[in-house]
Formats: sequence, C-alpha cells, structure tokens
Amino acid sequence: MNFDWSAEDAAFRAELKGFLDAELPADFDAFTLDPHDQKAFSKAFGAKLADKGWLVPAWPRAYGGLDQSPWQQLILSEEMVAHGEPRTAQYMCVNWVGPALILAGSDEQKAYHLDRIRRGDVTWCQGFSEPDAGSDLASLRTRAVRDGDDYVINGEKIWTSYADVADFCFLLARTDSDAPRHQGISIFLVPTDAPGLTITEIPSIFSEGAFNQCVFENVRVPASWRLGPENAGWPIIRQLLVNERIGVARFRRAGQTLDRLAQMAVEQDLIDDPLVTDALAKAQAACDAARVLIYRVVDEKAKGSAPDLNAYVYRVATTRAERAVYDACMAVEGAGGLIKGSFGALQFGHALATGIATGTTEMQLNLIARDVVGTARN
Amino acid sequence: MDLAFDDTQAAIKDSCERLFARHAGPARARDLRRDNGCDRALVQALEGDGFADLFGADGAGPLTAALVVEWAGEAAALAPIGNRLLVAPALLAETPPTMVAVADADRLDAVRFAADADLLIVIDGDEVRVAARGDFAAVPVKSKFGYPFAQVSDVRGTPLAPGSGAVARRWRQVAIAAEIAGTARAALDLTTRYLRERLQFGKAIATFQAVQHRIAELHVSVDSAEWAVREAAWHHARADLAAAAALTACEAAQRAFQETHQLTGAMGFTIEYDLHLWTMRLQALRHEGGGPRAHARDLVRARWKENG
Repeated sequence: MNFDWSAEDAAFRAELKGFLDAELPADFDAFTLDPHDQKAFSKAFGAKLADKGWLVPAWPRAYGGLDQSPWQQLILSEEMVAHGEPRTAQYMCVNWVGPALILAGSDEQKAYHLDRIRRGDVTWCQGFSEPDAGSDLASLRTRAVRDGDDYVINGEKIWTSYADVADFCFLLARTDSDAPRHQGISIFLVPTDAPGLTITEIPSIFSEGAFNQCVFENVRVPASWRLGPENAGWPIIRQLLVNERIGVARFRRAGQTLDRLAQMAVEQDLIDDPLVTDALAKAQAACDAARVLIYRVVDEKAKGSAPDLNAYVYRVATTRAERAVYDACMAVEGAGGLIKGSFGALQFGHALATGIATGTTEMQLNLIARDVVGTARN
Repeated sequence: MDLAFDDTQAAIKDSCERLFARHAGPARARDLRRDNGCDRALVQALEGDGFADLFGADGAGPLTAALVVEWAGEAAALAPIGNRLLVAPALLAETPPTMVAVADADRLDAVRFAADADLLIVIDGDEVRVAARGDFAAVPVKSKFGYPFAQVSDVRGTPLAPGSGAVARRWRQVAIAAEIAGTARAALDLTTRYLRERLQFGKAIATFQAVQHRIAELHVSVDSAEWAVREAAWHHARADLAAAAALTACEAAQRAFQETHQLTGAMGFTIEYDLHLWTMRLQALRHEGGGPRAHARDLVRARWKENG
C-alpha cells in the first residue's frame, strides 16, 4: 500500500496547474458566469485545452486522447475544479458521453462526435429524468417508435442541466413497451435543434439557466443516431453512470472554498471561536475522507476492475463533504452567507445538488446496502 | 499510488488472523474483563513474531503497524497495542517495553491500561515525560467502558526532547483512529449479520429500507475512518492528516455506537450478546486524548494557523 503520487503523475499535475494558474484569474469560477457566457468561455478555453491534448487525455490515442491513466484523469478533474471548472458543461462529454461513444458507437458516430468533443466544439446534456421517472429511471416513458429508416420520438425530459446551451442530447427512450422495463430502453444522440424538440427553462432556486424541460413532439431521427443495439441501452447507462458519479472532484472544489473561508475566519479573528473551529475541522475531515475514498475507486479502475460499491461509498462521502463545507460557511459568515457572491450562497447550491444529481443519496445507500447486507434487489 | 496490501502486509494479515484467533476474540475479552485485566500475553506474542516493531522495520513501517492495530481492534484484543506499535516507537530510541500507557498531564483520572503499564508516557503541552513502572502511581477505577482504567498520580519520570508533545499527539491520533476503525468495523459486521438473521413481521429486518440506509451510512463512516487513518500513517502522522483521521474516526465511533445498538434492539443491552465488547470501547476511544474537540483544534491549527 502506497499513497505517494508517482513522479509522472506529480509532473502532470504541476504542468497542468502551471498552465491553469497562468491562464485564469486566481478566484475564477465559471459557475458564477451567465449560462451563455459560460458556453462562450468554455468553447474558447476548451480549444486551448484541446491544443494541449488536455480535454480528453484519458481517451485512447486512437480517438485523439493521450491514453492517460485513471489517476491522471483524477488529477485533471481535481485541478479543473480547483481552478473554477473552466470546461463548464464540457466535463460531461469528456467524462461519460465520449466513453459511451467509444464503448458502443458505430464508426460513423465516433467519427462525427468524438472529434467535436475532443476539440471542445460541443456541449451535451443528459436526457434522462422525466416527470414520473427520477430515481426510478427505468420507468421512463418517452417513446421512440421505428418508422422506416427513422425513429419518431415523443415524450418529456425534465430537470435537464445545460439543455438550453447544449448542442446534443444523450437521450434515453423506450423502444419496446412490452419488454421487461430494463430491456426496452435505447439511447439516441439527438441534436438540440431537431424539429419538434422544445427546450424551456425551469426557474430554479440556484442560479439562472440551471434547469430545463425538453419536450419531444414527433421528433424524427434517423436510426443511425441510435447508440448501441435497440433495447440494449441500459447496460451502457449503468457503466457510464459510474464515470459520472466519480467524474467531478467535488471534494476538491469544496475544500478550496473551505480554505478561502478559513482564511476569512483568520482575518476576522473568528478562527478560535469553538463553533467555527468545530465546523471548519469537520468540513476539512469530510473533504479528506472523500478524497481518500476516491483514491480507492481510482485504484480499482487503474487495476481494471469495475468500481461499483466503492463508487457509491465515495459519492455519499463527497455529499457529506459538500454539506459540511456549507455548514462551515454559515458558521463563519452567519447571515452574510445569504448574500449573493458569499461563500455560503454559492456553497448552498452545491451542497443541495450533490445529494440529488446523478442519483439521489438514497439510491446510493440502497446500492451500498445491497452489497453490504446482501439484501435482495427489487 | 497503490492501495492494495503489499506482499508483506498480506502475509502479516494472515499471521495476525491466526494469532488473534488464538489470543484474542470475544471469549478472551470476556475472561480478561472479569478481573479488569488486559492481555500482556498477546502483546508478547506480537513481539515474538516481530509484529510489535514494524514501525521502524525495513519493508514495513508505520502504515503496516497501523494495520495491525486496526486488525487487533477488530479482533477485540484487549491490550495497549496502538500505544506499543505506534506511539512509543515514534518517541523512543530504544525498543519499548511490552505494556505502554499514554496519558495527558491534565487528564489523569481515567488512563487506559495504566495499572498494567511497564511504561507511562505523559503528554504535557510541548513536553513528554516517560515514567517506568514504580515511577508513577496507578489505582484502578471501575468503568463499564470496555477497558481497564486507572487513576494516575505522583508521576516522576524523565522528560524527552522539547517538541515531543506534538509528535506524541499526532501518533496517538493515528493510534486512536486505527483502533476505532477496527473496532467499529467489527461492530458493523456483527450487526450486518444480525440484520440478516433477525426475523420480524415474517422477514429479515435487513429487508427494511429504513434499516438499510442506516447500516449503509455507517458503512460509509467506517470506510472513511479506515482509509483516512491508513493515509495518515503512510504520511508519518502529518499533523493535519492525523487530526483529520482522528476526527473522522470519532464520527465513525459515535455513529457505530448509536446505530449498531439501535438496530440490535434490546438484544444489544445484554452481556450475553457480543456487541458491547466493541461498542463500549468505542465510547472510550472517542474521548481519549481530549476527544473530537482536541482533534478539531489540532486540525484547524495545522491546516490554517501554522506558517501563515
């Protein structure tokens, strides 16, 4: 057992950090930008990263990647969030849309999409949740009906982040209503400007443009836009959701907020207040625990086993860290944490979203219990 | 990074399992508790196999020593193994004696293992004094909390080099965290088995989601403590990591106590059922060395107040 970074990994982190420090202001945070500014910024910045090969370094060389290890993928994720996530929504295409295409895409799909993602030209959104299919994703009812060489899609997706700015939607739809529910789902790669697709913002308690509704009314897509075999979408989803759950180094961004907050507590002479000390320490310990638990997941990935249980454990730990950092914000800032631009006001959204996005905490706990207690899965 | 056990660690794990099967376990713990005693023979067996001195050994080191402390806690070993394997070797040039107790100068009323100690290490701010048997008084006190405790007084002893206090506190945090990780793991495993076997309303209580979520949350806490302490030991008890590991372990200890007893119901109140052999100790470990409050202060100081 060895917790030291290899010389190669340390060098990669140093080079990446040097580049990001030089390119970005010290307190840059892409999530404070207006969604459309985010998109423009991420396209421009994505091109710079693409020049270095750092947009998709974990992909195989055959698809324009650098064949980097899961450890380097973690370093990339940590350094990006530590520098305000200048890729914004592009982290999604990089972390799981691309890998899903590499896993299941046709040659034409790979040729068309992977190069666009690699260059940083596109953003994607995730057409998963529906009004009646949240945690119970496999109950989704959006239908894609075969019609000659096309499919015709009808249904509604909801709570879709980035749909208003995305170029493509990674869409789950039911292609066989009679099959057992996990066996009748297919994936479609749908451009967001497809006729019949209407995207409407859902005002949210976080920032503007965070949330959207996507209504599909007789949206016609060629069968060649289906990813993987018909009715075989679910195993692909299962595999890529693990990528998504560990894809964003949330503990690192939260930890960075905590460092800045602690600096403020030192400057305001609050650091020795027992409640402040307690809240800051608990938050730091929670961030450290999440960090070392993602190491365990990455170690498994690096050794070729598919992380499952330990990815869920990490996800719960990182949610605890986000919440503990929010508690620390409010311990230090008090009512000041309600004001736009404060640590508390920003961390509030992260703390609330982490327990819900990419599968609620309760779903992660169900899966942990299934493995730990051996309870039957229903 | 490589988070699998190396060959040495895997071999030591096998040997420890055999050793603890003979020298530890619930039945042995019950025998020792009857006379408020502890297990000198177990530490001697570890010394005999070379496992008491892994801290400075070639091919091993503090992380491997911390793993043994974890496994000993899991096996309900009733001996000051964390003190002997982690705290004493970090402070002393010579090989420590078998039974080592560690105390804070301002908290001498209930010191674990003090009545049986060959050596007492007293942490007093930046300073550490070590006193051999005969150079301190230890009067056993009664406690239900899993270990033999004694009230310590009249400590004479010799001071170690200035600055030893911080070293002692960091390694004690690692030792406490490792003991908690193993002890909480055993309580979790026992409770997991109970949930599968206990039938109510005609089915195993493990099938109730209200129960599943509690045990899953505990699993996350125990994993957190286990991996935090392993990393802290690898980095030689770096001040921030050691304090964070201890704080995380205290959270796990508290959650393990509450949840395993809640889920075990009245069965957990009985002496007959083994759960208390681990859970009562978790309460004691959670308060050792000043408890979460001291670990929190140390963590904040190490991370944000020093060098800046």
